[in-house]
Amino acid sequence: MTRFAAEKDEGRGVSEDAAFLAAHSAGDNRRLVELYRAAGLSRIDSGDIDAGCFFLTQAYVFSLEAGLRDSAELHGLLAARGREE
Amino acid sequence: MKPILDEVFRPVRLARGLPNEHYIDDLVYEEERDAVLFATWAGIGFGKDIPDAGDVMPVDFVGMPLVAARREDGAISVYQNTCRHRGMVLVQEKTNVRGTFRCPYHSWCYGLDGRLRATPHVGGPGHNVHADIDRDELGLIAIRSHVFMDVIFVNVSGRAPGFAEVHGGLLERWREFDLPAYHGGGDSSFALDLACNWKLAVENNCESYHLPWIHPGLNSYSRLEDHYNLELPGSCSGQGSRVYRRLAGEKGETFPDFPGLGERWATGSEYVSLYPNVLLGVHCDHLFAIVLEPLGTSRTREHVSIYYAEPTVRNARYRTLREANARQWREIFLEDLFVVEGMQKGRRGQFFDGGRFSPVMDGPTHLFHHWVATMVEAGRRGPAE
Repeated sequence: MTRFAAEKDEGRGVSEDAAFLAAHSAGDNRRLVELYRAAGLSRIDSGDIDAGCFFLTQAYVFSLEAGLRDSAELHGLLAARGREE
Repeated sequence: MKPILDEVFRPVRLARGLPNEHYIDDLVYEEERDAVLFATWAGIGFGKDIPDAGDVMPVDFVGMPLVAARREDGAISVYQNTCRHRGMVLVQEKTNVRGTFRCPYHSWCYGLDGRLRATPHVGGPGHNVHADIDRDELGLIAIRSHVFMDVIFVNVSGRAPGFAEVHGGLLERWREFDLPAYHGGGDSSFALDLACNWKLAVENNCESYHLPWIHPGLNSYSRLEDHYNLELPGSCSGQGSRVYRRLAGEKGETFPDFPGLGERWATGSEYVSLYPNVLLGVHCDHLFAIVLEPLGTSRTREHVSIYYAEPTVRNARYRTLREANARQWREIFLEDLFVVEGMQKGRRGQFFDGGRFSPVMDGPTHLFHHWVATMVEAGRRGPAE
């Protein structure tokens, strides 16, 4: 995780951090997309659009890399907020 | 001081070969990299190594990082393997890209078509666009490429005439082999490390003069007088044989022939050095392609791949014959090893003057020297206006 993400994510628990690290370590894109997407949507729900878009971007990138169908939806979420082309 | 090449341009009966510096000098090696290897159509690998859509293969071509990619439409593209952001090498090892190339540094993502698809956080955290970052201008740099006989060729400079224009003579000569050919599988590829300059492997392949001395086994059925010289200036040179003999197994089994070949191929075979660094051989029942990978003034890796007329040759029932064929070629190429390495050592002889050619037997070798000298001189003049 980036320092930025850690700072932005003060409420995240140790177990969630461990899940992120495990997925990164395993190169498990599907799991990374799942985790980042959930983190992004929860931040957006709580009104923190920048933090939400940070996590959704992470999810989007890993979905693009793996050619997952989620990428269209994630792109839409980001584009709707002016964060993607 | 750059070596003078005037003697190379004389007719073969009077000419001398390329000066020693062309084999042992780092500066001349770099000059040839640009003027010979990058300015023309050079081989960098085989399509069979990236058979499926999304397969990508990094290639270090004389220090230049490239990546060959099998696109969704089945065609092969070659890109500079360098992210347009911070210059990070994009693809570190052969893999299958299911979606996009993701730069491992800041995760800029590129499609198999080279298009820049994502620039995460480029405008700040969570902002993936910026008015000054135009993705359409920042796709991967495409390197001009062409596939012939499964060899992936690139023209790094982008300024060479088209592949078909340069090699039209050979394409016409071998048009009967313009057919699907099937790699024999794992036992039909091998690589040899040669302690010599890449050009010496090219030159050795150009001529049949050495066959009775270096390949006495081959010469027992394919004698020197059964061979003829092949010279297509600016494209390739080599040799042909009128007495190719099919490999047969213990029960007389043979490989299937390529369909529709003319009579002359029933017992004929041809071997060319396609300038600059690809060696090709055609026979009625198999082909081979060799890519010479230059690794320094006196180091070359020779990548050999053998192809057949039908995909069934990959089946188990052909295994023994396939292995015998690969073994036969490997032994022949190994017989050449001490010659090319010996010529490399010989070029440390300070009084060696490039050597004199046989006016009769060395025409194809001289043609290659002449071509290299022509390209080097053209490089010294700079690009045409």
